[in-house]
Amino acid sequence: MRDSDVLDNNPHISRSALEAIHGQVFGWALSRCNYDQQAAEDLMQQAYVELLTGKARFDNRSSLKTFVFAVVQNLARSRYRRIASRLRLLQAAEAEAADNYVPPAEPRDATVLWKAVQELPRRQRDIVELVFCRDMTIEAAASVMGVSTGTGRVHYDRAKKALRTRLEAIGSRDYD
Amino acid sequence: MTDIDDVMRSRLREAQAAAEADRVSDFASSWSAAEARAAKAGRRRAALTGSAVAATAAVIAMGLLFRGDDDLRYVDTAELLGTTSWVAPSDSLLPQRQFDIYQDIPLQMESTESNGGALL
Repeated sequence: MRDSDVLDNNPHISRSALEAIHGQVFGWALSRCNYDQQAAEDLMQQAYVELLTGKARFDNRSSLKTFVFAVVQNLARSRYRRIASRLRLLQAAEAEAADNYVPPAEPRDATVLWKAVQELPRRQRDIVELVFCRDMTIEAAASVMGVSTGTGRVHYDRAKKALRTRLEAIGSRDYD
Repeated sequence: MTDIDDVMRSRLREAQAAAEADRVSDFASSWSAAEARAAKAGRRRAALTGSAVAATAAVIAMGLLFRGDDDLRYVDTAELLGTTSWVAPSDSLLPQRQFDIYQDIPLQMESTESNGGALL
């Protein structure tokens, strides 16, 4: 870690370390903002501002990735909750107006499994994303979500059961 | 980790990558924008702090400039030497009350009454 690389107000964080995880963190920000790119970019910048100013101070108690994910999660919860709900309302209104409207949350190559995940309750969806797509342990995922490890395990188990049930219900036998 | 987990993991990663394709901005642009925002916030904070300090200094200076001599004196020596009565300093919470230092104070010292709210 070069000296010039370390943030002034966050001595345990380097710019290069943040750059290494930027793609994953931005993906997490995207999913927090219903895959609205502009909102995710704003959220990402605000998270970096928190790190630059030292408002969010990293003290090596977890991995940097877990910490930055948690910063994004907390910002999304506090500042973007209303914006996200308005966005969903707008999208719902647009969907009613146009029959062929495809909401941004829908990936272009949406799979049956992806759709099933998107239909899960929020916390189950989050822990599936963090564990399966972001390579986190259940403990780290629970930390990002702000719940205990036990609660995280419960959400994880329920999510897997729900996914299996839904996939079976829609006739996808690829996972049996 | 079971086979189902592995299958779900790989399928979900594919779907996730598709959902995020072309939507992730590069680090340099996000970082430079964040630095600009942090610098702007710092300047705004410094300006607000400066304004607050200037306003406080102005209020103190005005208070010092326009303060009358009466405000500084709670005990008038000449008045005390000429009489045995003393008017306690009062404000809206403490009602005005005049004492004779020989007649009243000894009673006040021994009394358990509140004497109309006067604090002794």
